Amino acid sequence: MARPSAPDRLRRLLALVPWVVAHDGPTLEEVCARFGLTQDELVSELDLVFLCGVHPFTPDSLIDVSVADGRVWIRYADYLERPLRLTPDEGLALVAAGAAVLAVPGADPHGPLARGLAKLADVLGVDPAVDLDVTLGTAPAGVLESLQEAVSAGRAVEIDYYTYGRDQRTRRVVEPHSVFGAEGHWYLEAWCHLAEAERRFRLDRIGSLTVLDRAALDPGPAAPPPEERPPRGQATSTSHAGVRRVFEPRPDDPRVVLDLEPRARWVAEQYPLERLEERDGGRCRVVLVVSERAWLERLLLRLGPAASVVEGADGVAAAAASRILAAYRPAPRR
Amino acid sequence: MVSRLERLLNLTAALLTTTRPLTRDEIYERVPGYPVDDAKGSARRAFERDKESLREMGIPVETEEVPFTEPPLEGYRIPRDQYALRDPGLEPDELAALHLAAAAVRIEGLRGTEALWKLGGLPAKADDALAAIPTIPQLVPLFVAVGGRRPVSFTYRGERRSVDPHRLSFTRGRWYLDGYDHDRGAARQFRLDRLEGDVALGEPDSFERPAEHANEALPPWQMGDEAPLEARVRIDADLAGWGVDHLGPEAVRARHPDGSVEVVLTVTNRDAFRSFVLGFLDHAEVLGPPELRHDLVTWLTNLAADQSPSHVVTAR
Repeated sequence: MARPSAPDRLRRLLALVPWVVAHDGPTLEEVCARFGLTQDELVSELDLVFLCGVHPFTPDSLIDVSVADGRVWIRYADYLERPLRLTPDEGLALVAAGAAVLAVPGADPHGPLARGLAKLADVLGVDPAVDLDVTLGTAPAGVLESLQEAVSAGRAVEIDYYTYGRDQRTRRVVEPHSVFGAEGHWYLEAWCHLAEAERRFRLDRIGSLTVLDRAALDPGPAAPPPEERPPRGQATSTSHAGVRRVFEPRPDDPRVVLDLEPRARWVAEQYPLERLEERDGGRCRVVLVVSERAWLERLLLRLGPAASVVEGADGVAAAAASRILAAYRPAPRR
Repeated sequence: MVSRLERLLNLTAALLTTTRPLTRDEIYERVPGYPVDDAKGSARRAFERDKESLREMGIPVETEEVPFTEPPLEGYRIPRDQYALRDPGLEPDELAALHLAAAAVRIEGLRGTEALWKLGGLPAKADDALAAIPTIPQLVPLFVAVGGRRPVSFTYRGERRSVDPHRLSFTRGRWYLDGYDHDRGAARQFRLDRLEGDVALGEPDSFERPAEHANEALPPWQMGDEAPLEARVRIDADLAGWGVDHLGPEAVRARHPDGSVEVVLTVTNRDAFRSFVLGFLDHAEVLGPPELRHDLVTWLTNLAADQSPSHVVTAR
């Protein structure tokens, strides 16, 4: 890992020094754990603090650092006794994370998080109940809690699942590993007995769910799970350590080439593209990776005249449109 | 050789402890590590860079005129009351809960870890993130504006808009701003990924904070200016459950013995409504009003008859 820049190290020191000042000789170990440093790194930062102070840098105007028996004391730094105020982006990071977790079904609206968030918001001058609303995803009542319990208790689960990409409903037994939110939806990552593979399931497409009375099997080391019929409506998330990508195109997935009018430009922004070619008048030609017909049908039906198929999807929209139209003839059903 | 970190820390200490603004020359004298102020302005450049770094991390370095100087000289100091974090008085369990929340929900690109350091850090190691929330550059200034009740102006879909920002929300994977739009004279919702360029902030406390409201982001079919229509849609048994979860039970007008449901939606954006209904493929049918049903039938009829231009086969 690259050595942090001087400003980044200063950020940490301006938080670390006040904390040590306020505590009577905390252990080096605890300081390291709280501020994400190794012992060597901490010692070298403390060596530097020891050289700092104010003019004329006589012993009584230098910050005093003493280390003994694995504990550390910092004195003569009363001007650093309070940490630096939170910047707006730091405040937003904490308030948004707190609000997001509080909005997850099952969160305690009067628990420590709610109380801590209220105190923090007060210092920042914001009102989290009014100013901010963070919803990580939607899920049918009880599904998220049941799955989280099944994951932590290590239970197998039977689900009734709507596979969006194939427009199909199936019952399947899965061994859940984790539940996570990404791009506005909740997902379950699990070993699926029907597919005999790792799969991801969107919680809002789970119709019903039964936690089974048996322990989840350990499928052993598995390849990274593909999407259970990838929701092609999801753009890949920017890669970021620890954050999961929702959709990974497979090399053998069919490709579809479309010409898009300017008003259909959102397709290029929203879906992972294999290629984008600019054309005259704000039009563009895109190559999409599509393996599921129902997903492609929806896209083409929505785009209508704003898209024309160049390759790979002849007659798909027309066939789907005719199928849907059948319900509209001759008169609306009662 | 004095390291830059040492110089930055000493500069912070000097500006925090001074009772009057310090001139640049006084700073070079009191803070070790600045190069000799030669004709190329080396010291000046180093100082400007340091000042920028401190300001970037949120340290309020103020520029003031030094009293009794003729001609007036610029001086610098950090007011302690503006520098310090007001102690929120968090109990250990409250700090731990905030830490867990910040670890569980990663707000991409924001400095959640630094925020926790300032509150005292915490020994717990973060588990796998529960969720990730993307951010956009305009989010932080808008958060400042919402909290400070400062009016904002920004370019939205090519138009300049002046808005009293009331609330930020993240839903369905996107950030939205709710506020009072002065150009439209009405409450509006903006999708933040459609904002272009910077957000300009007005004076604090320029409007009343709105009363607490629980409204979520509007569905796309209500993000429009068209005359409202009450659409009736039948969703078949296969997707009835999903549709009701998505729309909320209050949208349900009737449940039929075959498992299908009839839902009612208020539509002010017909294009978005059509897209929503088409998402159900042949599992949904627009029952009324006639104009919406007719819109959809026309749309589908055109598609059913359409041949992609590059594949038109001339029949003889």
